[in-house]
Amino acid sequence: MMMRGMIMTTESQTFTEKYDLLGCIQCGRCTGGCPVTVRADLNVRQFVDDAYDEEKLDELARLAEIWDCTACHTCAVRCPKGLKPLEVLIGLRSLIVESGKVEPTVRDALQSVLLEGNPWEKSRATRQDWMEGLDVRIAEPGEHVKNLFFVCCTNAYDPRVQVTAKNMIKILNKAGVDYAFLPEDESCCGSEVFTIGEEGLFEMIVEDNTEFLNEFSADRIVTLSPHCFTTYRTHFPDLKLPVIHYTQLLDELIEEGKLAWTGELPKKVVYHDPCYLGKQSGVFDEPRRILKSIPGVELLEFDRSRERSLCCEGGGGKMWVESESKKERLAETRIKDAKVLEADIVAAACPFCVLTLEDAMKGLGYEEEMRVAEIMELLGELIED
Amino acid sequence: MKTIVCIKYVPDTSEAEVKVNPDGKTVDDAKFSFDINDADNYAVEESVLVKEDKGGEVDVLSIGPKQSEVMIRMAMAKGCDRATRVEDDRIADHDPLMVAKVLAGALKDQEFDLIFTGCWAEDDGHMSTGVALAEYLGINHASMVKKVEVLDGKVKAHRELEGGLMEVVELELPAVLTIQTGINEPRYAPIRGIRQAQKKELNVVNLDDLGLDPSEVGSEASLVVLENLYIPEVESAAEFIEGEADEKAEKLASILVKGGLV
Ligand SMILES: Cc1cc2nc3c(=O)[nH]c(=O)nc-3n(C[C@H](O)[C@H](O)[C@H](O)COP(=O)(O)OP(=O)(O)OC[C@H]3O[C@@H](n4cnc5c(N)ncnc54)[C@H](O)[C@@H]3O)c2cc1C
Ligand code: SF4
Ligand code: SF4
Repeated sequence: MMMRGMIMTTESQTFTEKYDLLGCIQCGRCTGGCPVTVRADLNVRQFVDDAYDEEKLDELARLAEIWDCTACHTCAVRCPKGLKPLEVLIGLRSLIVESGKVEPTVRDALQSVLLEGNPWEKSRATRQDWMEGLDVRIAEPGEHVKNLFFVCCTNAYDPRVQVTAKNMIKILNKAGVDYAFLPEDESCCGSEVFTIGEEGLFEMIVEDNTEFLNEFSADRIVTLSPHCFTTYRTHFPDLKLPVIHYTQLLDELIEEGKLAWTGELPKKVVYHDPCYLGKQSGVFDEPRRILKSIPGVELLEFDRSRERSLCCEGGGGKMWVESESKKERLAETRIKDAKVLEADIVAAACPFCVLTLEDAMKGLGYEEEMRVAEIMELLGELIED
Repeated sequence: MKTIVCIKYVPDTSEAEVKVNPDGKTVDDAKFSFDINDADNYAVEESVLVKEDKGGEVDVLSIGPKQSEVMIRMAMAKGCDRATRVEDDRIADHDPLMVAKVLAGALKDQEFDLIFTGCWAEDDGHMSTGVALAEYLGINHASMVKKVEVLDGKVKAHRELEGGLMEVVELELPAVLTIQTGINEPRYAPIRGIRQAQKKELNVVNLDDLGLDPSEVGSEASLVVLENLYIPEVESAAEFIEGEADEKAEKLASILVKGGLV
């Protein structure tokens, strides 16, 4: 149970100070890049402007569109003043969270993080059930290991994406990598808790997870999800170990000649840059190099790729908040773009992207001719047991 | 307006497989997550809504282990004012009557207008604790309540009956209402609220503190004996008995007799 770090925090900063609202020059680059403006009423620049008036905050917080933000961070990447416009929306969300009057789905996800260490309302005791039958090493505090794996709640519990972690073990064992997975008390990284605006819970996660992870001795932490990756990199100042994403590790292994694929994949593959891996953490080339290393793969590029990659709308707590908009989902737009490219496979390196894109692909009825896959899923099929 | 809300800490069996321990009388709970009983969560919300509407206070009452305190603090974060947690191994907690007797004992010197309980506990599903509590306290009750209107000295309770039929009853206070899920939308307990709730009063007591005689609420007093727990076998055979009512009754009776069931 996550109740370790219960300490009081003092809130003295005003909203304007906290989000540097006076720094905004109202240039509109944030709104100009925001992907959800095509389907929702969200105008983030307006919020940055209006939030300056402290008396208006409660009224702003009640606007439904603050929940349309996917936390893709495009606005933050584009802002010439280095502001994070999305965090103004998160700050408004937190006013609602503090009142307790959130959507039941959000309530349940947050409560599950507090009680069970994951947002999926699953028991902590079953966090490692996916490992059953696998030859996997579990880390122990004090015992040094080169690569310490953080699996992620979604990869651990969602049967669709558990394959990412399972195939990783297959590959690590095959390549003779020095690794271990964290034990069962691994807890949610808080990525979605942060974007939903549960500030108190997020502070507690930062404190508890820092303490937990700092007990282990490793060269680095390897995350399987870009959400954990970026969250640890940006919000955990006291974490002792460096954090990388699995695509960076595999890229190294390929470079060192430690991975050999058996068979080939004669397919047109288009890579979808997850927002949390690409625009938020700058990992663009490693996943592409991995895909190119597969014999037979013809790697395609979306028009909107790398920093301009179109968000799948899986982040920002959107897994628990349904959009009111009936307009085309961005994931559908993405899949249609892939269709125009005549891609056989849309590859991603993020559990949320895989879930949302696959949903869209099925919804569009492209199951016969197209496949959405985690990169690890493809690799698992190219390695002998 | 003073309200008491009774809440229970129960395992969530919807995700993990239920396995009976070799003793045949307990369930392996290693893989379960525990949380407030679903209906009790609605009861907490309703008690806070009453407080927000009419003023007054809400006390939480729970029989349960130390681990359940997180659930109690969450209820406090939502607006409950203080809590009593009873912990005592001597209570025959598989018997709702014994549980109700302890709850009633914990309330005997207290003044209150309303008591909310959940309509049933998800773990043993007796659907009788709240009603038994009213009986022990000698006060009015209404079960399966889907809407509450507090009036002057009275409460109007809308009860959901079979087939979705609503029955509206008016009760003199004090009264016990057993709350059905769906009556409201339980709010979220933010961490900052939970932290602040650490300051609220939470009394932990046992039977001796409550002045209750263990022999009256323990297994020797209970008329319920837990013989054996088992997972029902899934069977697909179903026989439809045709005919007029008296023919059907006759056929059914003969099947029961032949099967040694009566
Ligand atoms: C944050 C911000 C907010 C502002 N808000 C306002 C406002 O609300 N109202 C207002 O009146 N003013 C506003 N201004 C000022 C106004 O935008 C500028 O005065 C005006 O845009 C300056 O024009 P410019 O031609 O110097 O450069 P820019 O506006 O930067 O023009 C560049 C464009 O000119 C063209 N161009 C430039 N050089 C060439 C070339 N060699 N060949 C071909 N095309 C070329 C291209 O299309 C290029 O994109 C604002 C300025 C800023 C920085
Ligand atoms: S994070 Fe993305 S969705 Fe949210 S406001 Fe910024 S650009 Fe728009
Ligand atoms: S991009 Fe930055 S400076 Fe420009 S309007 Fe948005 S928040 Fe303000």
